[in-house]
Amino acid sequence: MGSAPSDSGVPFAAFKILVAGGFGAGKTTLVGAISEVRPLHTEESLTRASVGTDDLTGVGNKTTTTVAMDFGRLTMGTHLVLYLFGTPGQERFWFMWDELSYGALGAVVLADTRRLVDCFPSVDYFEKRGLPFIVAINCFDGAPTYDPEDVRIALDLDPRVPAVLCDARQRDSVKQILITLVEHVLASRIKDQAETENEAESPFQAAPLPEPAPDPAVSQA
Amino acid sequence: MPAADKWVDKNAGPVVRPYALTGGRTQPVSGPILDLIAVLVASTLDQGFDDVALSPEHRRIIGLCRAPVTVADLASTLTLPLGVVRVLLADLIGEGRITVLAQRPAGEQPSAAMLKEVLHGLRAL
Repeated sequence: MGSAPSDSGVPFAAFKILVAGGFGAGKTTLVGAISEVRPLHTEESLTRASVGTDDLTGVGNKTTTTVAMDFGRLTMGTHLVLYLFGTPGQERFWFMWDELSYGALGAVVLADTRRLVDCFPSVDYFEKRGLPFIVAINCFDGAPTYDPEDVRIALDLDPRVPAVLCDARQRDSVKQILITLVEHVLASRIKDQAETENEAESPFQAAPLPEPAPDPAVSQA
Repeated sequence: MPAADKWVDKNAGPVVRPYALTGGRTQPVSGPILDLIAVLVASTLDQGFDDVALSPEHRRIIGLCRAPVTVADLASTLTLPLGVVRVLLADLIGEGRITVLAQRPAGEQPSAAMLKEVLHGLRAL
């Protein structure tokens, strides 16, 4: 356990950030550059995880499959802990993504310019899910270097989504990536609030909606 | 090393199927699905060691929850699958031995004030 702030017995606030990208894009490297990496595995029911994907010939009795992931824990000050979860690469593990993005602060999509197509599914997923994300272009030795703007065009990114160059091996570079992401999340939060207020003032609004019934789950929280 | 132990070192993985630890249950008995970063703590009065109804895994969880800990850290330290840990945790939460300190309501994003705090924390690294 060692470095957990919990050793003091004081409650802490935990946040999570997802690190996505294609196989070999440097997800684990990025997480390891800034935090202590710990293994985590799950045993998922095959019916959930991989219907039609796994060849079950000869293993007819197999009912679960193991999904192994890494995560990093970053302690900031005395009561903040940031968790970095690398998303499992294979598409048959999409269900794990839902679990990981639940309540997540945002996501970093790591792009490898040699295989840019590999990060399309991640970009699509976060866009559909409405989870704020940035694209970090990992500068591999020997890989062609591109202008982040070219990558943005290739990925057809929303102009507000930051696309930045990074070196996933360098702690300072990863730190800057995380700062860029949190700044982006904060900026989109403020923008969303402004839009909601504008909509409320719109003279074109239809008849007022009935007051929603109070949600017991929310009022408890 | 006796020949019989040759294939059961720690690299071979668990000898017991993971969900055997939960008595075959794959779903928590009750309560919401715990988020990976939900923070848990053992109830202060509970010692947990004199209760014969508790499995060794239940007791280990209570021991690890003496200080606040997240579900992800717990599963990683126990080297047990997440689903198994969730089932065992639900048992302990149901009995009042473990309390969920912080679980963000479904779909709720961190507030702007919290985000600013995270930003300050990152910049100070």
